[in-house]
Amino acid sequence: MRKAGLYSRISSSSSGRSGSQQHSLPLARIKKIMKKSGDGVKMISGEAPIVFSRAIELFIEELTRKSWVLAAEGKRRTLQRDDVVSAIHGTDVFDFLVDLVCVSDQQNKRRESPVESETETVGSKRPKVGP
Amino acid sequence: MEDNIGADDGSIKEQDRLLPIANVGRIMKQILPPNAKVSKEAKEMMQECVSEFIGFVTSEASEKCRKERRKTVNGDDMCWAMEALGFDNYAGPLRRYLHRYRDFEGDKANQDKAMNNSSVSKGVEQSLS
Repeated sequence: MRKAGLYSRISSSSSGRSGSQQHSLPLARIKKIMKKSGDGVKMISGEAPIVFSRAIELFIEELTRKSWVLAAEGKRRTLQRDDVVSAIHGTDVFDFLVDLVCVSDQQNKRRESPVESETETVGSKRPKVGP
Repeated sequence: MEDNIGADDGSIKEQDRLLPIANVGRIMKQILPPNAKVSKEAKEMMQECVSEFIGFVTSEASEKCRKERRKTVNGDDMCWAMEALGFDNYAGPLRRYLHRYRDFEGDKANQDKAMNNSSVSKGVEQSLS
């Protein structure tokens, strides 16, 4: 694809990295997600998803790096979901993700134990009041 | 390659709001040591975070455009929004990337124009002969 070739030429010249660092994120999907971000998003220039594809790489790299530090502290070689969650909680700039993590945690808890009360909050155990 | 073939409409729409897990996982692995592994749940978590990041930055950029009475969100707006939201360390590299892209597109447009001019004249010659 032309765009993929374009990215590799720009990225390898800008950062000095090897040509193996190809940008392979689907532009159309990025644009779709951008458009769904709100009613105010009407028109998006052609360059915006291209800039975003690089920004997303930087974002994934930063969050992964921070998550890996936590995994390594636990002497693990497999990055787990909880490492990502902890990295989010431990980094100010990722505060916007805290609500997402809470919702995701609640969904996971419901999946694991569907019979438990819906009002049970994450991380707390309240005594159940019987009839 | 889609891995949700045969899935109902709900899950297909769900996949549309996320970037492909293979792409996300590849970027994660590139930054990690060679012996590192990434669980499926961690990749899924990252997919969700990326979509949230896209929405977060786009909303900010879109709001700037609205205030300035512009209809189209462009690359400069994205860079500005990232800086405004605390992603200062991204803004610099992204601005450089954006300028290179614009230079590249400008050069390419000039080359295409030159090629089109020569091919048009050749085409005219061929059709006349």
